[in-house]
Amino acid sequence: MSLTQSIDYAAISPPLVVVVTAVAVLLADLFVSAEVRRRLLAPLALAGTLGALGATAWLATGPARSTFCLAGGGCSYVADGFATYFQTIVLAALVVVLLLSYPLFDERERVPPGQVPAAEFLALMLMSVSGMLVVAAGRDLLTLLIGLEVVSLPAFVLVGLRRGDPRGVEAALKFFVFSVVSTALTIYGIALVYGTTGSIELHHIAHALSTRHAHSGAMSATAAAGVVLVLVGFGFKIAAVPFHFWAPDTYQGAPVPVAAFLSVASKAAGFAGLIVLLVVGFRPYADVWGPAVGVLAAVSMTVGNLVALRQRNVVRLLAWSTVAHAGYLLMPLAVASSQLREGVRATLAYLGIYAAMNLGAFGCAVLVRRLHPRLAIEDLRGLVTRAPLTAVAFGLFLTALAGLPPGVAGLFAKVVVFRAAVHGHVTWLAVVAAVNTVIGLAYYLRVAALMFVPADDAPVAPSSRTWSVSAGVAIAAAVTVVLSVYPQPLLHLASTAAQR
Amino acid sequence: MVPILVLFVLAAGFAVFSVLAGSLTGPKRFNRAKLEAYECGIEPSPQAFRGHKLPVKYYLTAMLFIVFDIEIIFLYPWAVAFDKLGLFGLIEMILFVVSVFVVYAYVWRRGGLEWD
Repeated sequence: MSLTQSIDYAAISPPLVVVVTAVAVLLADLFVSAEVRRRLLAPLALAGTLGALGATAWLATGPARSTFCLAGGGCSYVADGFATYFQTIVLAALVVVLLLSYPLFDERERVPPGQVPAAEFLALMLMSVSGMLVVAAGRDLLTLLIGLEVVSLPAFVLVGLRRGDPRGVEAALKFFVFSVVSTALTIYGIALVYGTTGSIELHHIAHALSTRHAHSGAMSATAAAGVVLVLVGFGFKIAAVPFHFWAPDTYQGAPVPVAAFLSVASKAAGFAGLIVLLVVGFRPYADVWGPAVGVLAAVSMTVGNLVALRQRNVVRLLAWSTVAHAGYLLMPLAVASSQLREGVRATLAYLGIYAAMNLGAFGCAVLVRRLHPRLAIEDLRGLVTRAPLTAVAFGLFLTALAGLPPGVAGLFAKVVVFRAAVHGHVTWLAVVAAVNTVIGLAYYLRVAALMFVPADDAPVAPSSRTWSVSAGVAIAAAVTVVLSVYPQPLLHLASTAAQR
Repeated sequence: MVPILVLFVLAAGFAVFSVLAGSLTGPKRFNRAKLEAYECGIEPSPQAFRGHKLPVKYYLTAMLFIVFDIEIIFLYPWAVAFDKLGLFGLIEMILFVVSVFVVYAYVWRRGGLEWD
């Protein structure tokens, strides 16, 4: 018997390119003179990301590719439409986050307080993204778990990387402790599922679980417990209530671009793993996880929106808003019936639109932070006279998150998930979400209106340090506007990705 | 389901019993040696180093040791199955060793190997 496997390097090219770029950034920082690396590191990381994006686009046009296959059938890594959809979202989000984080870097030999070391920041971010790309394509429990860990470990450091900042360290510590506990529960769940099915490959698990489910008893109950425990780890990753406690403190203590990264890319990776597990592996237990996901969705959106009403800080407000959006994203998955494919399609479409509008909102927070380092909501009063373009863009993103014109993209997203929930006969959840949308209007519109209160301040000249942030926000705004007038391509991509 | 519950109860009961029995029946005669760090670790100091920072030199060295320790663990089965793995295994192993070496180069250039 041959012990070697054939590896399809084309299928794994996106994570491969990202990892090689990460190592190249680290080595370039070590062995190149300070003068050269000032101009080299960030463009190198950006070029690697764009290269991986190109590879993903090329994979998306071709047929699905599988690699790391076992002799008994089943592959650990499948680059199909679903995987490339998520990989595209994650890599596009990374492009914007890299642009947003450019002013954080300081290329001096001793990094001063408040700044982050560029090479470590870029390399860690690329490593985290490589994990996300693997989660999107992983098709067995261990690949998914290791992918998730590769996402998390660099993220802890990214959160606390700012020099001499005790809040950052506190944020990183909270993030770390919550992550470790939820990972432990997930591994316990994986052990139970493996113990009752004898396989880590998702199709085998689905087959074994359907026979387990037919006979009630201890084995069936153990499998159900495993399924629910695995949900916990992903609940943490996507910051769904009651696994959300880390999110507001971590987002506030971290550099704002890192918060944007966690709230979009990390959440997308969590949803990729969650959907694959629920739809492929744990499908026979849909009667167990369906209601659980429904309750998670309802509680997440309600708690997120209610707490967001009382926030005084822009980043904390956005953090609670991402908790609420985790609820909207989970809602179509609660369908868990024959209509599940439409639900998955709705979640995928919502995620694409959410990525654009949420990245834009965090990008505006980075721009506002230059004028108001505290980022209190009250500071936004009259922003339109000080920084008119920032105020207009922020207004667009906030209305999109609320689901109102002129941010029509957010409205399309809401309509898609509501339709999926109603078609899938979880009307109660749609009602909860409708009430929550109204609550959401209150705080999004309060902030948006505050910015357009007339004030007699003079406009502040844009700084040369923030041109890249403006570029990142412009990309997010352009995508949001395009999706507002012409969402069909995204909806089409989402339904292709959901066809598996 | 019942055997698992019984196991939970037994485990929890044993843990509670051990802790209680130890603290209730054991003699409490403290001396200096008993209050020091167990087996290994840095000497506890009343004040954290330079404001709010703890010295992490020890952990850096220990972590570097673990990284190379794990590298050896991967090298060993490869050496045993060398004939079967062939050229493919050799190339994969070189890639692995090189990527671990990047870590070493990083620690070295960043001054992680200098104690003071």
